[in-house]
Amino acid sequence: MNRRRFLQVAGLGSVAFAAACSPEAPQFLYGPPQATGDQVTGRPTWYASTCRECPAGCGLIAKNREGRVIKVEGNPLHPLNRGKLCLRGQAAVQALYHPDRLTTPLLKEEGRWVPLSRDRALELIAARVREAARRGEGRVRILSEVVGQSALALMRAALGNWNAAGPVIYEPYAYEALRAANREVFGVEGLVSYRLEEADLVLGFGAEFLETWLSPVEYAWKFKAMHAVRGEGKGAFLQVSPFLSLTGANADRWYACRPGAESWVALGLAGRLLGLGRGRHLPEGLRREIEQATAAVPFSRVEQVAGIPAARLEELARRLAAAERPLVLGAGMWQNDENGLRANLAANLLQRMLDPGLARVDAVNRHRVEIARPRAEVMGLFEDLAAGRAEVLILNQVNPLFHLPAAAGVREAMARPDAWVVSLGGFLDETAQAADLVFPLAHALESWDDYNGWDPLLSSLQPAAGKFTAAPNLGDFILAVGFPEGEKPAPDYRSFIAGRLYAEGRLKAAADWPRLLQQGGLFPPPGAPSGAPPANPPERLPEALRRALPLPPEGGPLLAAVPSIRLFDGRGANRPWLCEIPDPLTRVAWRTPVCLHPETARAHGLEEADLARLVTAAGALEAPVYPTETVVPGLAVFAVGQGHDAYGRYAEGRGANPWRLLSPRLEPLCGGPAEGLCRVGLERTGRRVLLARTDGSRTQLDRGLVRTATLAALRGGGPPRKAGLTLHDFPLTLPLPEGYDPRRDFYPPHDHAENRWGMVVDLDRCIGCAACVAACYAENNIAVVGEAAVARGREMAWLEIVRYHDERHRERVFFLPMLCQHCDNAPCESVCPVYAPHHSAEGLNNQIYNRCIGTRFCSQNCPYKVRRFNWFDWNWPDPLPLQLNPDVTVRSKGVMEKCSFCVQRIKEARTAARNRGRPIREGEVVPACVQTCPTEALVFGNLMDPDSRVRRLCDDPRAYQVLGYLNTKPAVIYLKKVTEEA
Amino acid sequence: MSELSFARIDETVLGTLAPPRRGYWALVGALCLGVLLGAGCWAYQIAVGIGVGGQNIPVAWGTYLINFVFWVGIAHSGTLISAILHLLRAGWRNPIARAAETMTVFAVCCAGLFPFIHLGRVWQVYYMLPYPNQRQLWPNFLSPLMFDVIAISTYLTVSALFWYTGLLPDLAAVRDRAEGFRRKVFRVLSLGWSGAHDQWLHYSRGYLFFAALATPLVISVHSVVSWDFALGIVPGWHTTIFAPYFVAGAIHSGLAMVLTLMIPLRRIFRYEAIITVDVLENVAKTMILTGLLVGLAYGTEYFIAWYSHNPVEWESFRWRAVGEYAYGLYFMVVCNVLLPLLFLVRAVRRSLAWLFGLSLVVNFGMWWERFVIIVGGVAHDFAPHAWGLYAPTVVEYGIMAGSFCLFFLLFVLFCKHLPSVSMTEMKETVAHGR
Repeated sequence: MNRRRFLQVAGLGSVAFAAACSPEAPQFLYGPPQATGDQVTGRPTWYASTCRECPAGCGLIAKNREGRVIKVEGNPLHPLNRGKLCLRGQAAVQALYHPDRLTTPLLKEEGRWVPLSRDRALELIAARVREAARRGEGRVRILSEVVGQSALALMRAALGNWNAAGPVIYEPYAYEALRAANREVFGVEGLVSYRLEEADLVLGFGAEFLETWLSPVEYAWKFKAMHAVRGEGKGAFLQVSPFLSLTGANADRWYACRPGAESWVALGLAGRLLGLGRGRHLPEGLRREIEQATAAVPFSRVEQVAGIPAARLEELARRLAAAERPLVLGAGMWQNDENGLRANLAANLLQRMLDPGLARVDAVNRHRVEIARPRAEVMGLFEDLAAGRAEVLILNQVNPLFHLPAAAGVREAMARPDAWVVSLGGFLDETAQAADLVFPLAHALESWDDYNGWDPLLSSLQPAAGKFTAAPNLGDFILAVGFPEGEKPAPDYRSFIAGRLYAEGRLKAAADWPRLLQQGGLFPPPGAPSGAPPANPPERLPEALRRALPLPPEGGPLLAAVPSIRLFDGRGANRPWLCEIPDPLTRVAWRTPVCLHPETARAHGLEEADLARLVTAAGALEAPVYPTETVVPGLAVFAVGQGHDAYGRYAEGRGANPWRLLSPRLEPLCGGPAEGLCRVGLERTGRRVLLARTDGSRTQLDRGLVRTATLAALRGGGPPRKAGLTLHDFPLTLPLPEGYDPRRDFYPPHDHAENRWGMVVDLDRCIGCAACVAACYAENNIAVVGEAAVARGREMAWLEIVRYHDERHRERVFFLPMLCQHCDNAPCESVCPVYAPHHSAEGLNNQIYNRCIGTRFCSQNCPYKVRRFNWFDWNWPDPLPLQLNPDVTVRSKGVMEKCSFCVQRIKEARTAARNRGRPIREGEVVPACVQTCPTEALVFGNLMDPDSRVRRLCDDPRAYQVLGYLNTKPAVIYLKKVTEEA
Repeated sequence: MSELSFARIDETVLGTLAPPRRGYWALVGALCLGVLLGAGCWAYQIAVGIGVGGQNIPVAWGTYLINFVFWVGIAHSGTLISAILHLLRAGWRNPIARAAETMTVFAVCCAGLFPFIHLGRVWQVYYMLPYPNQRQLWPNFLSPLMFDVIAISTYLTVSALFWYTGLLPDLAAVRDRAEGFRRKVFRVLSLGWSGAHDQWLHYSRGYLFFAALATPLVISVHSVVSWDFALGIVPGWHTTIFAPYFVAGAIHSGLAMVLTLMIPLRRIFRYEAIITVDVLENVAKTMILTGLLVGLAYGTEYFIAWYSHNPVEWESFRWRAVGEYAYGLYFMVVCNVLLPLLFLVRAVRRSLAWLFGLSLVVNFGMWWERFVIIVGGVAHDFAPHAWGLYAPTVVEYGIMAGSFCLFFLLFVLFCKHLPSVSMTEMKETVAHGR
């Protein structure tokens, strides 16, 4: 080796050595450099599937990036939800990547959980089941959540092998009263769907159709199809109920009745409508029976019982009678007691009187949740278990121990030494804790399956990513344990589903199966007529209405345990997003308070956030108080979903479970839980909790942030107002050159290139459901900060649904989606010393995280207070980070952040357009919130394009800007909510 | 003062530089611990995140900015006394000018720390400097925070130079009497001062120029600080009165701090002959004026809020008086305006106990004035749904205590190591008889 060679080798060697030894540990999440199959690294692949977060069964498309599902969106082809999802659907990915998700089966040995292999668990289950089946009939039982047809068929076949009857389908909300009402009045055995979109007047007796009832996303778009202002008219929604759920809060008028008196109002209205000449088409006998039954409930008596003035009832009756296409919906899904049953019966009766052909009732497209069995039957199963008539119980993703009253004896039945309980599902919830073996199943987003939200519809499920755990899906589990080798109906569940569909003739050609998977189901072509009204409604008045109506419970505060839009029946309680997103009405995150009328709270010496003790005959619990005028005096409204003893870190030990306070009595006629309302003692504990409230003031102090207009005012138009400089007469100043006036503006307008992005928020369409908020969390990697931080004003939501109560009529509620307004004259931009908030060439107010040094002046100066600061490095416990969107930076401590109008989606659209050498077209950029809004209240687009939807909506007479008088020239234009009453 | 001779002045002042006793070092040690506590809290905050403080949305600025404005305010009357009163030839300022100017320098040092402490990412603070870089990024000179950077750094530079220039002849006097190592140190510090005629000529010219240069800073620096708020659009901030209002408040608080410092100093160092009660009385008289000015500003704010018919502004001020932080408003009105009126009584303004007590009261009240403005404005601004409250946390209290310890530590060190009364100017006073 000569000198030259030595230097070459030494030089290269030392460089190679230095380059290879980096002190920095790798901090990045790498995707596979060579994507497999249909995937391209850096580009998403979408898989159509079905949402299984509630029994509604909305279609979804799951976004797969580098092998991970990072977001779900509604399937635009799906006729049920038409491309939209609710907040619970958006949070489905958090169950997939939940840090508390089980990965291996667990066997209980001497009270402790011992992990065991999947094969061993399957063997164990198969052996126990065979043994039990040998001992006699009905020794093996399955209690399952609502499932699709294939799974049901497979379970039936397996149970047949095991010498037992079919599975008992269980839902805590099984709509017993509604089903009885459909049977008795419409002659339909099941849960009909409603053509809400065709109605011009909807009367509700508590049905929560915008949040949890039957199929909320479907009814949300249908509701706005009838209720949003069109031209000079709009449909009306009237609500009779003792408190306002989110659905009730969207009513044009609220007829507040005494708790338990809905049936009186409904039947009273039926009597009055007969007097007003409606119902002539009814069979003579039925009409006479209605006459007889309603003779006991004249409005004077209804006024006494329900507390609604007779004059208001008369006005209501006349409106109903005058409506062209009215639709009457029954009581809330939690009301299966004698009053709820009769309210549903009377509501259906009203529909029959008002709608001769029952044109707005669809008896064909029925909701799948109808396969859930009444509570009485579920209790029968547990009685069998308790009596030793059944010994092996397989629970498929149900949590009855959480839902059913403690006195129902479910825990005792499961704990019997000769009973062996297998719990299927991903989490150790209360029921799984009480089981003998827990067997984790694949998440719906990892599974093959089918489902049908409407009965004739077929909606497919397919794995949207590789399996995150090796757990099998439900079908493969049943195939493994339910059939002896060689007798399996199919080698795996996927071929079972396909085989069934081909055998039934629903699929024919070989290409039909991939096509089915591609579009997410078999859907009728759009516009095709489907459904039919009930054919042969009975000709007699239901027995329950012929007898005297039960009087509402007297005296004492009453408790209503109602479903929650965030947590549903409690299954959402472990999803961090659903905990962090505040309840739309109380604006309290993380903890569910008990809502009382302020008078009732005062009478019991309780104030907001005081911890009250709720005592009933069945038990007691403690919960913070939230006074609100949306509840009538004497009623305590408590949303279920919290108070878990198990179910993971986010749910465990948080809040209280009002189901614990109810008795296990059953309503004899419909078989539902009899205790809708129960008498409750409210006691002061003298302690307070720090409620994670996300609102400051409940009213807007006449500042015109939320604005309303009556229909009459819109029709009249009125003389054009002179533009001034104050809150009430400041003109609309668009973030375009035309919005600038040298008399008002010191600086010249911005030169925007092709686009000036803007959004229109139609307050008349917004129902406050917070689906957009969840979508924003999912899309933009927004941190979940926890209860204590939210209570201290550190929530990170880029988009929030502000709720204001009317100053003078406190029970009226308005919703205001509040996000960065991307002002043209942005107060945040001028005060930053380092230009971190930066006005882009397309009008976006960009926040440059790298540049931000954290002075927080921008937030101080933002009149909308939409900026969020990273007070710490927020963490996502593993494996939740797998959900993070790789197109969006995860922000570190000390920087400000806020809504970016989903700039990553804008960039994606721009790249695509540029590659084709053309400008971005209308509709190519859809931010996450706009994408999921079930009522299409949000519209996004280019304000510089005179033909864009946003630009044209700016000319709507309802258009205004929030705090526009500050001359910020916001690019978010609001359209006034149209109300009946000024 | 006629009984003061040059020798007596030298004797009294240089006598204070005698080797300190143990009690002094104990005090220094305790203050050092306090500074370390504050530094520890800051280090913890940097490591964990600014969220260890109590700030939130909407109140994203808390005690850090309150203390910043508080200390900048304290600084101002030092310059007022040393520069403006020098130009006005108010001889009574001579005994306290040195200590007041020292207070200015140290208070600006404390104030200057807080914008750093306040930042979410202090390690990126150099983004605020206009340094050339490849990405051609530049600071935003429209931002009031950039005004601050310039104003505070200018103020610190000018007041430090002014202070040091004034010290020169006295440093030489110390040098002349010192021995050993101290002599070497003071020889360097006194920059070869020999007391020659031309040196005196340049010195007095230079001192006058510095006084003239520092004078506009008294007005400008706190005006600029006030624009941190007034240039924002927040109700309760966005008013044109803020600059004079803040300047008056700054001088008010600074004079109170002068009294707080001078009265113990005078007692411990037996400066009774130099810092006479007449001098303190003059400070108290000035405080009557500044207190009334501040009161006028408070009243004007309320009048304009009412007169403007601006509902947001009016609600902000209504809430200020009856809301969650109403106690802050009452603290500031009583402590800054009403109680200083007791100085109208001659006996009060000549009583050391009263002077000292009221000076503490005004310091307290001025801190709360900043709280009411900085926290109260954004806590209750345009969007009622976003209203929220703020409470400082232990970490913030720790840093605040650290800043007070730092200020007093520097001052205590100064007192025993540098002449705390300007011998030169005292001699001038004696010689000129004014």
